Amino acid sequence: MNGTNSFSEINDKIIEATIEIFTGMVMMEISVGGEPLLTLGPLKNSITGMIGLAGIHKGVLAVHFPKQVALDVTSSFLGMEVSEIDADVQDAIGEIANILGGNLKTILSDRGKDIQLSLPSTIYGDQYAFTSQADVDQVILPFQAPSGMFYVEVELER
Amino acid sequence: MAKNVLLVDDSSTMRKIISRSLRQAGLDFGEIYEAGDGQEALAMLEKESIDIVLSDINMPNMNGIEFLREKGNRPAIKDIPVFMISTETGEDIIGEAKSLGAIGALKKPFTPDKVNEVLGPFM
Repeated sequence: MNGTNSFSEINDKIIEATIEIFTGMVMMEISVGGEPLLTLGPLKNSITGMIGLAGIHKGVLAVHFPKQVALDVTSSFLGMEVSEIDADVQDAIGEIANILGGNLKTILSDRGKDIQLSLPSTIYGDQYAFTSQADVDQVILPFQAPSGMFYVEVELER
Repeated sequence: MAKNVLLVDDSSTMRKIISRSLRQAGLDFGEIYEAGDGQEALAMLEKESIDIVLSDINMPNMNGIEFLREKGNRPAIKDIPVFMISTETGEDIIGEAKSLGAIGALKKPFTPDKVNEVLGPFM
């Protein structure tokens, strides 16, 4: 489902930040993988990095990677081969969420103290759903990496 | 003389990336030490001969702002320069870091060229 909501104003900046992180730090070329989505089905054999926002904007930014994409991203990020989701992969995926969360915070407010970031965390498994219980605006941005798609999801409380 | 550097970040990935970026930027540095939060950084500063600190802000146990404040209270280490490397680059937070003695800030994400441009004058 294509999405057009209040996120249209910040989508471009999140896309720009994501591409900058991957080309400048992960050392991996990525591109936009399609139109923004409003929903994503159950995540299968994946890992999600996420970071919370509190203050004048409350919500979460999450990055969903299928396992193989996460392994390739971590290998490129760290300059070493990884073959399983281990502490290095969790740390790398969490750090990508952290950097993107920091950029989202700057997009939403250039002050600094009026939005607080949580520490990043990760979840992974054979199948899980990522859903919000609160009344939120939500967008999911798809990206194409060399070994598959991944998704950047933003939920902000209305 | 090449400067010894302390990298302070709770992400081991980010410590590796900063270390790699320093090398790729062609900066002249000596030993690289690592700490996972402000508390570890304070202990490292009091134990090792460190010339400059590159510190994250958003960390568990003791964050970068708390680290600057506590470091400023310890005469033996208070004059060691600290440069912030963080996603937290809002003017309020960077202003507070500078008021506590930080000499500059570099925003994540960064490239080796940016590292050279921003950190070069201090190395």
